[in-house]
Amino acid sequence: MMDVMREWTVSGVSFPAMTGLFVLCLIVMWLLDMLFARLGVYRYVWHPAMFKLSVFVCLFCFTAFMVYQ
Amino acid sequence: MKKFISYLITLCFFLAAGFLAYTLWQKYMHSPWTRDGRVRAEIINVAPDVSGIVTEVAVKDNQEVKKGDLLMAVDAERYALAVKNAEAVVANKKTLLEMYQAQAKRRQAMDKRTVSRESKIDADHQSTAALADYHSALAKLNTAKLDLKRTKVYAKTDGYVTNLNVYVGDYAHTGQAMMALIDKHSFWVYGYFEETKLALLKVNDPVDIELLNGQILKGHVDSIARGIYDSDNPESRDLVANVNPTFNWVRLEQRIPVRIALDEIPEQTLLAAGMTCTVIVRNNKADKEPAVTGSMSTN
Repeated sequence: MMDVMREWTVSGVSFPAMTGLFVLCLIVMWLLDMLFARLGVYRYVWHPAMFKLSVFVCLFCFTAFMVYQ
Repeated sequence: MKKFISYLITLCFFLAAGFLAYTLWQKYMHSPWTRDGRVRAEIINVAPDVSGIVTEVAVKDNQEVKKGDLLMAVDAERYALAVKNAEAVVANKKTLLEMYQAQAKRRQAMDKRTVSRESKIDADHQSTAALADYHSALAKLNTAKLDLKRTKVYAKTDGYVTNLNVYVGDYAHTGQAMMALIDKHSFWVYGYFEETKLALLKVNDPVDIELLNGQILKGHVDSIARGIYDSDNPESRDLVANVNPTFNWVRLEQRIPVRIALDEIPEQTLLAAGMTCTVIVRNNKADKEPAVTGSMSTN
């Protein structure tokens, strides 16, 4: 159980946690993508673009569940 | 073989992504929570019961006061004089009463030839009227005393003075609010829930309230509002319906206020009426029953 707020405030602007999570996940995905490329994961993948999108959606939904549980 | 593995991996992730996205949608859209919550409190508009020049303001802005503390005082001189006047009137009426009573008694004692029957009856009635006058004067004296007492305005409850806008020398009018007192024990939260989410919550469900500063309060659903304004049919001047002829293809859900009673407030929490908060009803109803439109259960 993580205690993450559902409302994030940055210098007086409040927005839903999802917005922030989306940006964070994009960054994490970018790092993962570099890692996958270096490890050669994409050689074992059918459509790399679809695979990347799916991994991103999984990542985002999973972190979102942590917040909106 | 390599090709099969590559299909498998990709499809697994694709299906997992689809499932998670769908479940998250269900969770986000069909669980009873709202970002649109407000901290509320009972705000007492403190008004003096008598008019006059303000001679004392005993509190500072935002000061915490206890029940019975002096808030402000209105010039008492006029009301002290009114009491003196009323006392004089009472003395006057009392003397008159004694006079009329003695008169009546004396006349009753005299025989028929000396005093007429009419005179006797009149004397009786005069003394009764004098008694009524005396009681009236007494009531006026009590009113004057009450007015004098009410020149001092006391706090009716524990709370905080807010937006203090009254100063010594201001003229206070009877019944005109001079300062706001926020009842310390009356804080509650209004969660404005979408119409579609109302079915997912019920009275007494436990609630978490997240303030924007990160503090979490606990509470429960106290009650649900049973009416909001019908903006499509405002009442006309002639008390007939006045239905709005324009009707949108896409509409926004209306929101119904749900009153949340606070149970646990962490130490050092500063609550101010009007604060924004997120209200999350923790009844796990969406977990047990299928959500309104979905059939898949969420975790």
